[in-house]
Amino acid sequence: MGLIYAISEELMPNLSNPKAQATAAMMQSLIQELRQMVPVYDSYIVDEHNAMTKVLRDTAGALEGVTGASADAVRERAKTLGTLADVPAPIDREKVLAAHRQLGKALEQTIIDLDVLQRAGDTRGDVALDVVRAHLAPRYARDIATVVAGAGMIGRG
Amino acid sequence: MYRGTTLEQSLVSFLKKRFPDADDVGIEDFQQIPGGFSRETFSCVAQLTRGGAQERLPLILRKDPPIEISILQTSRAVEHDLIESIRLNTGVPVSQSYGYELDPKPFGEAAMVIQRMHGNGNTSDLFNGGPDEDQVDDVVRHLCEVLVELHTTDITTIDPTGALSDPRGVGIKTTSWDDYIDSTCEYYISSYPSVAFDPSIMVLIDLFQTLRRTKPRALPLALVHGDFNPANFLYENGKVTALIDWENSRVGDPREDLGWMTTMDLLSNTRIMDHPRDKGGFLAYYNELTGFNVTAEEINYFNMFGTANIAVPVNSAISRRLAGEHHQLLHVYLVQSSIPALQAFSQQMNYPGAAS
Repeated sequence: MGLIYAISEELMPNLSNPKAQATAAMMQSLIQELRQMVPVYDSYIVDEHNAMTKVLRDTAGALEGVTGASADAVRERAKTLGTLADVPAPIDREKVLAAHRQLGKALEQTIIDLDVLQRAGDTRGDVALDVVRAHLAPRYARDIATVVAGAGMIGRG
Repeated sequence: MYRGTTLEQSLVSFLKKRFPDADDVGIEDFQQIPGGFSRETFSCVAQLTRGGAQERLPLILRKDPPIEISILQTSRAVEHDLIESIRLNTGVPVSQSYGYELDPKPFGEAAMVIQRMHGNGNTSDLFNGGPDEDQVDDVVRHLCEVLVELHTTDITTIDPTGALSDPRGVGIKTTSWDDYIDSTCEYYISSYPSVAFDPSIMVLIDLFQTLRRTKPRALPLALVHGDFNPANFLYENGKVTALIDWENSRVGDPREDLGWMTTMDLLSNTRIMDHPRDKGGFLAYYNELTGFNVTAEEINYFNMFGTANIAVPVNSAISRRLAGEHHQLLHVYLVQSSIPALQAFSQQMNYPGAAS
């Protein structure tokens, strides 16, 4: 908070150039972003890790009876990454961050595989995609509340 | 009159070449101004002495950033040709472009010099109790008419060389509407690995693939502004005095401009799309003038399609910054606008549980 205050009270009044003023405002916004994120980041990573393993299993479940390489790839991820044990808090931070990223990559690839099914007209692909989407929607809403500080429009003129 | 340092001296030299009949050229009030995220923008007044008479030219110098930190890579030469073609061949109000310099030596990077137009650029003054609320219907009516003129002018009139078919050189085809949509979706999808700075932005690959699966009906391709939003026009006395910032202009679907304005109207807390009220709003008036019968569902599709066009270079810029290719603050700050866009996409694609 002291940094935000110092930028307002000691830096910005001495900046006459509008571009410099916009840069200082961006700095305040990014500092505020960190203030919001730091207290909750680790707990969010744990929550999302544990939710994503379930999403991988549920997505595979929605494709029961579907054949083909894309569906097989989704089921394979459910058997491997989808069976990672839930992570309790407190955490081995580096290990959980690595697993969180791996699970995120797995969901990315699942979206790509499901598109193959959808384009072939298989509506079970739509159902399975909704499982992934239902996981992502509240995450994005939570990210807005924690990561964003302002509308991100400083310097747009 | 202040004769300035490096940039100003280069600008004086540029203007002396542009106006060879001038006996003297000077610059005053040279200053950098906020002008969007993709160019460095400077404002000044040039004083020309010609045949004993003095002339003042309000100018804007738009300079590319260094390529390693560039967000949107487009050509100032193409932009110059476009602006001049629009100015000379249509009634769309635009600045005069005085020329460009592609050699990085004079200005540090490629740059162009354009006329600084009169008019109010604070379009928020038209809304929310602002001082120009009484003008909003007239201004937006004219804005709609200007957009319609742009969209209904033959592409070859404005872009005879075809430079705007694929100005970023990313493989867009404009041989037909289907080719345009298909090749643009392929560009988005193939870009994803380079823009995904974190798997958490996976809504983008879902978006790109959804756009490919759910194409709407075709409309004739047109010259689109490419960044049609409340910050990119000036107004005065109930009229638009200039449509500005043409760097993202290209051949595309005209609904892209409507979709982008819809998005930015929301983010800017303006209500352009609600006006002119006596015509039932912007879309209704646009449809009345064009006969295109654009629907709200199509606006939603092109809202996402047009936003994806910006999302690719913006997220690519964030990705390069987070990978440590440079240390510009702006590219980290861009996360602040990227995250709300991700949520907006989830809402537009009706993600289960996404608040509308």
